[in-house]
Amino acid sequence: MRRSFLLAILAASAFATAEAEAHAFLDHAIPAVGSSVHTAPTEISAWFTQELEPAFSTIEVTDASGMRVDKADSHVDPSDATELHVSLKPLAAGDYRVHWRVLSVDTHRTDGTFPFTVAP
Amino acid sequence: MSRLLRRTVAAASLIFAANPVSQALAHAVCGDRVFPATLIMDDPGVGDELSLPTIQYTPLPAAGGNPSGQIVDYGYEWDKTITKDLGFAINGDYLTQYGAGHNLRGWDNITVTLKDELPCSEVDEFMVSVGVIRDFAGTGSSQLLRAGAIETVSNTAPTLYAGKGLGDLPIGSFRPFAVTGELGYVVSDSQRLSPNQWAYAASLQYSIPYLQQHVKALDMPAFFTRLVPLVEVSFSQPPNGPAIGTISPGVLYEATAWQAGIEAIIPANAATRQIQGTGFLVQFHLFLDDLFPQSIGKPLIDTDLWGQR
Repeated sequence: MRRSFLLAILAASAFATAEAEAHAFLDHAIPAVGSSVHTAPTEISAWFTQELEPAFSTIEVTDASGMRVDKADSHVDPSDATELHVSLKPLAAGDYRVHWRVLSVDTHRTDGTFPFTVAP
Repeated sequence: MSRLLRRTVAAASLIFAANPVSQALAHAVCGDRVFPATLIMDDPGVGDELSLPTIQYTPLPAAGGNPSGQIVDYGYEWDKTITKDLGFAINGDYLTQYGAGHNLRGWDNITVTLKDELPCSEVDEFMVSVGVIRDFAGTGSSQLLRAGAIETVSNTAPTLYAGKGLGDLPIGSFRPFAVTGELGYVVSDSQRLSPNQWAYAASLQYSIPYLQQHVKALDMPAFFTRLVPLVEVSFSQPPNGPAIGTISPGVLYEATAWQAGIEAIIPANAATRQIQGTGFLVQFHLFLDDLFPQSIGKPLIDTDLWGQR
């Protein structure tokens, strides 16, 4: 019994290593999640845990009043399909929120948000 | 409803110990929140997943003239979506008991769960599911059945599941917290042999992945960014007797397409301590929707009964 379970674990682990595509979740971003920066960024870069489908992966950025402050040009990096960019309009000091919505290459859709602050 | 509870319901001898709520397991996503697969109770979503194995060790105290002993329980569960919101789960356990007056081994009864996930409120990170759990007596080992170690009467448990992420709290460091709950009423096919009873459970979780992805990215080793510390509390309430329950603190590790978890299982009250000591549970859990998105990991019918997805 124990042996069969061990074999099952090994087989499952092999599948997990060899075939996993999985949901795409945020790995890290610049500016960092929840960070406060003194120089207003000119773009948002976000890296995800899986490769993204460019046509269905977007980032939007809003200010504290909910107004869009990005240039609506979000795109997956041609050299790294896990990386998503969007350019920003000139930002004043204040709180901002990044909204991402992505489709991983295995067709799982995920979305999320994170804040950052431009300090005075 | 866990088979361990059903044993306590069925067996006056209380040969086997208690984990009072469901072992149906799945992870669920609602807005920014990912509710992980909890180890003792069920989470509030449906999914395509496989728990293999779940291993639980439970020491048994000396009682009733019997010496102390131990139970090791090897469990599996397969969760399959029928539509995007409707799924079923099949549970099974292979049980071994040494000491405590019995040396037993064999399969427990099979349990099947049918569960529907209602549309979630993404902004509130709030989701609810409703389900029904059916335990099929007579599908387990005859040795365990003769020993009174498994349920001799089938039962059905209508069950409500809920989860709430606290991402709307004003204090950022509290936003990774989430709570989940489960409430079921076990209706026996024969109340004379096995009375009806309530079963309920709750979990409190702190998701470091949520902290890193949605609140504030802290500089820490990658391993720690995937941990979800949690505590699960589960109870069953017989009609004529004290509640039986456990408190289970532990931690989950969330990988890309799998999860591993470990929890201590601590008797929650004197009545529970009379039938079991402090044990532990470990589990390896696969997300089949991530591993096999075009085959066994996708719904049988690509629709949502609520028209939401």
